[in-house]
Amino acid sequence: MNLLNPLALAFALLAVPIILLYLLRLQRREQSISSTLLWRQVTLDREANTLWQKLRKNLLLFMQLLTLLFLVFALLRPYINVPSTISGRVAVLIDASASMRATDIAPSRFEQARERTRELIDQLGATDQMILILVDGAPRALSSLTSDKAQLREALAQSQPSLSPANWSAAIALAAATNAGAADANTVVISDGANADDLKLIQGRARFVPVGSSGDNVAIANLTLRRSLRGLSAFMRINNLGAAEERILVSLKADGSLVDARTFTVPAGESTEFTINGLNPNSGALEAHIDQAVNNRLEADDTAYAVNKTNATRKALLLTNGNRFLEQALSTLPGLRVTRAVSVPVDAPAYDLYVLDRLSMTLPARANVLLIGASPVFSTSGAFSDTQFVRTEAHPVTEQVDWRGVNVQLAQRLNPPAWLRPLVESQGGPLLYAGENNSDDKRQRMVLIPFELRRSDLPLQIAFPILVANSVDWLAPAQGVNAPASVRPGDVVPLPENAIVIRPDGAQVTVDRRGFNQTLQPGVYRFQTDQQSGALNGAFAVNFLNPSESAIRPAGELAIGTQDGSNAAAAPGMSQREFWNWLAALALLLLIAEWWVYQRGVPTLRRR
Amino acid sequence: MLTEAFLGQLRTLALSSPRRHRGTTTGERRSVKRGRSVEFADYRNYTPGDDPRRVDWNVYARLERPVIKLYEDEEDLSVHLLLDQSASMFWKPEDATRAEKFERAADLIGALGYVALASGDKVTVHTSTGQQFGPKRGIVTFAELIAFVERVKQSAPNNRLSLNGWLKAYAQRARPGLCILASDLLDEAGAAEGLAALGAARLDVSVLHTLCPEELDPQLSGDLRLKDVETSAVQDLSMDDIVLSQYRQRLADWSAEIASLCRKRGGRYYLTDTSQPVEQILVRDLRKEGWLF
Repeated sequence: MNLLNPLALAFALLAVPIILLYLLRLQRREQSISSTLLWRQVTLDREANTLWQKLRKNLLLFMQLLTLLFLVFALLRPYINVPSTISGRVAVLIDASASMRATDIAPSRFEQARERTRELIDQLGATDQMILILVDGAPRALSSLTSDKAQLREALAQSQPSLSPANWSAAIALAAATNAGAADANTVVISDGANADDLKLIQGRARFVPVGSSGDNVAIANLTLRRSLRGLSAFMRINNLGAAEERILVSLKADGSLVDARTFTVPAGESTEFTINGLNPNSGALEAHIDQAVNNRLEADDTAYAVNKTNATRKALLLTNGNRFLEQALSTLPGLRVTRAVSVPVDAPAYDLYVLDRLSMTLPARANVLLIGASPVFSTSGAFSDTQFVRTEAHPVTEQVDWRGVNVQLAQRLNPPAWLRPLVESQGGPLLYAGENNSDDKRQRMVLIPFELRRSDLPLQIAFPILVANSVDWLAPAQGVNAPASVRPGDVVPLPENAIVIRPDGAQVTVDRRGFNQTLQPGVYRFQTDQQSGALNGAFAVNFLNPSESAIRPAGELAIGTQDGSNAAAAPGMSQREFWNWLAALALLLLIAEWWVYQRGVPTLRRR
Repeated sequence: MLTEAFLGQLRTLALSSPRRHRGTTTGERRSVKRGRSVEFADYRNYTPGDDPRRVDWNVYARLERPVIKLYEDEEDLSVHLLLDQSASMFWKPEDATRAEKFERAADLIGALGYVALASGDKVTVHTSTGQQFGPKRGIVTFAELIAFVERVKQSAPNNRLSLNGWLKAYAQRARPGLCILASDLLDEAGAAEGLAALGAARLDVSVLHTLCPEELDPQLSGDLRLKDVETSAVQDLSMDDIVLSQYRQRLADWSAEIASLCRKRGGRYYLTDTSQPVEQILVRDLRKEGWLF
């Protein structure tokens, strides 16, 4: 047995004032009585008992001194060395990935992991230190490296499992940084071991504490929407990750009302795919849910959401005799549906954008046009080949466009109207025009490239897709915001600043400069970017859909670290076990007994 | 203190005397002298000078010699009610406002006086401070007695009283009769000598030992310096269960000692708790003890 705080022995000097007070204590309270006649006889009687009375007084003193002794002893913080599974500097990695939400052990794997961690905290010796690292998508330390058990327990109580996969390599790096330079460092991993191959990266002494028992799970692996000739179709894939055949009831809701429910029988380890056709094309959001399955241990992957974004698409009509560069550049643009034709269809609906490539055609009034090559619209005054780059006007169309490396063989010299401004100047003349015509009843935007693409190396430059994208965005601004249709929990959605997002739980959040990052809750998020109109002009879904996390089969034993678990158990370290709390409890008991003796006398020696 | 109903109850009672006493006037008590009542006592031979009316002629016819018929003579009884007025009788617990112990003793003396007056006895009430009522007879003096008791209640106690000295002094001038002493008997020298002197004066001494609950069963705790209100003597004691139980034992022994002293002289002893109502002490307790009939 050793002492951690020998200086506390100085508190033993408190015995001196106790004894002094005891000696000075005999201040008697005066009590008037009718006569001392009988009392005096009592005292005469008591003479024989004086010794005992003194003893009783001394008993009180003795108990007080004993109480002090225990308290001082507790303050000295004595400890004994006990064999312990953990000692030294311990980094505990607690798996908080989505698979830890599985309920194959009640109440959940994560709760059991917390319980295991609590046990480890209890085993922590007086000089040992521990850090708790919660491992989810972005691993972080729950507490500092400390030996304060209360702090560790409190930090542990605030931990929550996430919906993201565990980023083990980041967590191991964090633990390694904490344990750097410590000779007695070791790592404890509390995990179900599912999707934890990275754990093999752990160096040094390490131990794996497995949680979880069953891998039975049924998950929605995919939910996507497709617009087809038959309307809106929903495509789904259901995975049975369990060890037995499952009958699975899946329901599909469109905007909150049930539109379909089906039962499938999926063999063990297999998946089924199906398409539900004929959905209302105007549906905003769809929700698929596994309503019934026998062995379904993870709830998070039972629901999937999809947003019908097709109604936010811009339509473009590409009029060309064939231009692979242009078609490719246009087809990669998100939210743009390109129809290719050689002439404007007779009864075609109005398009947001017309792209004319070396063709001349009568376009609807107010049409936004990207004109490429020989232009019949404006008169020309010859051509020029001196196309050395001079300068670029600042304009949305030329943003990020680097024209310096562009070589043009021959360009036409135009006589454009005043509203069409040159954006790129060369030695011979302008090489790019853009402008907005607000005259009479026309309201039209136009981007004009006065040369044929094949007569330049522009399509081979990086500038070309940027130029096309800029032009399309400027000519036909996106109705909604170009948000992805589905993101994973925790992802950041690039929404413009000040956009308002309504979360699935109804809370409204204003987006700041960094984009929208409160995507922890799966569900459909609606947003509006134009605060004046107030119309909800977009939505996106946050989906768990993560086949690897749905595979929750636990790894019973995992050899990690340079020393595997069995070796670590065979050579246990020594931990310093303190027992001052027992001493303090004893002191309290003694204090109670002392008070009782003072109040009641000593019952066993009481006379009749 | 004395309600009409209670007085009515008292009026039916009378003090019982363990012995007969010689009275001064004709009363309702049987006298030690033969008298002229209707109650037959004895016969004796006729001697010249006897009243011929008292010769029993029936016996004369049978025995042919004159025999005088003797009757009980009924006389009054001298009742001496002694009230201890020492400081210890006036003692009250620290939280009490009135000296209930003394007031209750005074009330008891008043009520006993009423019983005696109602039964035609000659009543003397004497306190240790020298105040005296009577000797008086007749129920008509009752109001005077009550006034006296009230006056005594208001008066100051003796500072240092020798119980024996007071009793001896009274015994010298008391006519034989019944004597009731109401006292706590808390005197260093005890009361044995005084009680003996009263007995020698042919008084039947009954001791009504008045102690309050705080004296009978003290609830004291802690380290105390006990101070005697009468002698100002101090006594250091650390109270605990043992001390308290020893006190109770000592009290019981002391009480038994005085009781045996009284009985040896043909007197009576009763230890009364002054927190009890006067009605209960008189009508129930003392009657049961045979003090009243």
